[in-house]
Amino acid sequence: MSDKRIGVISCSGEECVGGTISRLAVRKMMEELRPGIVSTLCLPLFIAGDGGEREFAEKYPTIAVDGCSKCCAKRAIEKYSSAVAGSIDVAEIIGQEAALGKPLSTRNLTEEHLAYVKEVADKTSEIFDAILVK
Amino acid sequence: MSKIKVIPCSGIGKVFGLLARESVLMVTQEKCPNETETFCLAHVVTGDDEIVDKIKGETCITMDGCAKYCSKKSVEETGGIVVKSHKVPDFMKAHRGEEHGTGTYLTEDGWKYAEELADILVKDVKEVMEGVKVNV
Repeated sequence: MSDKRIGVISCSGEECVGGTISRLAVRKMMEELRPGIVSTLCLPLFIAGDGGEREFAEKYPTIAVDGCSKCCAKRAIEKYSSAVAGSIDVAEIIGQEAALGKPLSTRNLTEEHLAYVKEVADKTSEIFDAILVK
Repeated sequence: MSKIKVIPCSGIGKVFGLLARESVLMVTQEKCPNETETFCLAHVVTGDDEIVDKIKGETCITMDGCAKYCSKKSVEETGGIVVKSHKVPDFMKAHRGEEHGTGTYLTEDGWKYAEELADILVKDVKEVMEGVKVNV
């Protein structure tokens, strides 16, 4: 297994469904799809700049997974560290209307939401794998 | 009075971030939907004018998952007035030994704890509202 480190930052936004999907997609990568090789970074801590997150993103390729087209995670990485190695906009994958739906608690997840999570996690994993083999 | 802003950290690494997030969603969607609202911390920390306009000078309550206090600090830096600030581990004493889940899901005990955190926030909201009434 490669010892290359790759970071993934989710927006985890609380204002819309897309934030819940982005969060769960990254967690799915961590726990199921690419266990042990995904380094997740906390976006607020990254922006606060006191947890070593920025240094990580400067040193290692980092992927942004954003819940909506505001792309807060992507913009933050580019502002404080360097260009993102890849980015995902959940709204582009599941559609604007679905992504901008009412904020979603994990106890109200439906099969449809879980399918969105899988789709986003799979696309993020594709980017992850492409970086890994470079 | 505009709605009280209740903002969690939603940290992704541990269960504390999810507990903060779920407790706030309980408050803003179920327990006090007419008195409260939440905003994306991810958006708050970008400092975009759009979100600064919504937070600056407004009454805010924060629920953080760890002692880094990202939510409290970020809201304050954005100009929000944080009248109450909590962090999830502060209320753990009565829950020692319980398994609350992970950053992905909450267990039954986790949901009970989230409910307890939500009730703490509801109490805060009521106190703030009462304060407003007294001062009017």
